[in-house]
Amino acid sequence: MQILTLKEGLETLQSFQTKETATAFSRLAELTLPTKKTEGYRYFDIDTLFSKKWQLYRAKKVEISVSDIVEIVDGIVVSAPKEVLVSYSTKRDIDTEHFDALYYLGHILSPEVIQLDCKSDAKIKIVHRFTQASVLLAYRLQIQTSPNISLHIAESFEGCDAKDTFVLYGYDLHVQRDARVEMIKDETLIEGSYTPIYSNFIELEAQSVANIFSFDFGNADGLQLLKAKLEENSTFNAKHLLYAQGNGKRGTISHIVHTQKNAKSFQMAKNILQDKAKGIFDALIKIEKEGGGTKAYQNSQAVLLNDGAYMVSKPQLEIYIDDVEASHGSSIGELDEEQLFYLRSRGIPLQEAKKILILAFANEIIDAIEEKEIQESVHISFENVYYGQSQLECMLSCHNCSDTIIGEQS
Amino acid sequence: MNNMIEIKNLHVDIGDKSILKGLNLSLEAGKVHVIMGPNGAGKSTLSKAIVGHYDVSVKEGEILYKGKSILEEAPEVRALNGIFMSFQNPVEVPGVNNAYFLRTAVNAKRVFEGKEELNAAEFLRASKNIAKELGMKPELINRSLNEGFSGGEKKRNETLQMLMLEPDFIILDEIDSGLDIDALRAVSEGINTIKDGKRTFLIITHYSRILEYVEPDFVHVLKDGKIIKTAGPELVAELEEKGYTTLEES
Repeated sequence: MQILTLKEGLETLQSFQTKETATAFSRLAELTLPTKKTEGYRYFDIDTLFSKKWQLYRAKKVEISVSDIVEIVDGIVVSAPKEVLVSYSTKRDIDTEHFDALYYLGHILSPEVIQLDCKSDAKIKIVHRFTQASVLLAYRLQIQTSPNISLHIAESFEGCDAKDTFVLYGYDLHVQRDARVEMIKDETLIEGSYTPIYSNFIELEAQSVANIFSFDFGNADGLQLLKAKLEENSTFNAKHLLYAQGNGKRGTISHIVHTQKNAKSFQMAKNILQDKAKGIFDALIKIEKEGGGTKAYQNSQAVLLNDGAYMVSKPQLEIYIDDVEASHGSSIGELDEEQLFYLRSRGIPLQEAKKILILAFANEIIDAIEEKEIQESVHISFENVYYGQSQLECMLSCHNCSDTIIGEQS
Repeated sequence: MNNMIEIKNLHVDIGDKSILKGLNLSLEAGKVHVIMGPNGAGKSTLSKAIVGHYDVSVKEGEILYKGKSILEEAPEVRALNGIFMSFQNPVEVPGVNNAYFLRTAVNAKRVFEGKEELNAAEFLRASKNIAKELGMKPELINRSLNEGFSGGEKKRNETLQMLMLEPDFIILDEIDSGLDIDALRAVSEGINTIKDGKRTFLIITHYSRILEYVEPDFVHVLKDGKIIKTAGPELVAELEEKGYTTLEES
């Protein structure tokens, strides 16, 4: 097992350099590894993660058994449906213009990527399981669609045993011409377990569509970095629901880049912050000179449930051409007083009325999921976290109790 | 005389503006009362004060409901005790399913009254029957609460809530505004359905249209923050003819 202290810089990574990661190395050298100072604006404690001496954990590859889901344990695929083509590859398509150093770091620390080739319409569930405590776990997924297919991918994460582990994961998703992808991440983090930083790259070829959902719940720290590159007439929809509690710092940093004409992007972030939690939405839409006819909309809404909760919202537009429609907005506030009163005026107690409005706020994102089974599962994830600490504690030791809890509530 | 509501010397501000200025009003139980008055007289402020709206600040006076003061009670407690207000402009609540909301409200009241909660099937059966009688489109029951509803649909939805919650004291704040004749007739029929001689109604309106369908027992005129006249239903015709300017405080 290799020992790494990321704060020591590129020298500590030299042994990972290969022909396939050379691009990542040169880009990382340009961007430099993040420091407390350079990451300060993100309100995320990267310095603590980088100062620690990490054991880089690599699980041994195993024979992939057949099951209904793609199961990845500590970065290794252990099972997958027959119809999903899974392989490992040293080759990868690295985005040479990704905005974040951690995207390149993830590639460098992953000598092979997990390759998912999707040649026909498919609905894939991916469960990531982390079992190792106090390690650095780095791996990446590369998803390649064929043209003109429809793909639904739902990712979930379990890591109650991975105490103090740092997970550096991400995917490169290449959506070929006329293909349509719905990609959903559902992750509840619990204080004391692993800290994830996920860096993703989504490339949309002409006339393709990607609907990306992220559901980030819980009371621990986590960050997702997202870059989307849009070609002609492609459509990118990103919807983020964040519900952070306790001292959790959680958020999304994204760049959506319109590189060709007539592409559309819609990004909506809804953030619910409770206790002393901090939410982060630092998002840029960039429309390049060739992006005539672009339509781009971005909005972030945050509800602070109490004093002490905090939201950092930084929506940005960077436009290099006139012929576009673009807007961005951000609001941070409390629950709507008129709505709250309306519910109370019908005899619904204040606390119940607040819960109903919070659920409604969240449901606008959850209900946009096309796949009903996944939609229902995300509803359960949200309600599990929302309806009390006791259930969070339960989830620490039990992975299969949510049905019982929900059943009792109804 | 048995009063459902007794208001004594009520002074109410909204923001830093004094709206109600020593209002006195008694509403006899089981009767239909109408409050009419010019714009800005304080009609909606009065209804807000009764239901405990956050906008209003009661500076002086008393509101007794069934003989007990309600000024310190939370809006939901007033509602659970049987006070219902149909809103002039019901707020839209995206993401809250209309049926879920109403079932929550109905069951909150049933629990408060020591009754068993309605299960989903019982609730849906009851609410759909009433909605049908009100001429509501069935799909409105499963839509987000008031979201995208027309003015008439919102008022019908308010009436549906009223009929499901079976309150004792019902305030109808301009329930007739913006309604076409069919909607007005449907809403009025809904009101007449639960007129049983025990429930008390307070209809706030600018117009006499609704009073052609719901016959009032008393008409009160509110002007400059006070009730200046109380009379029988004949006053409606007089107001239609002469307006409010000729009325003096009685």
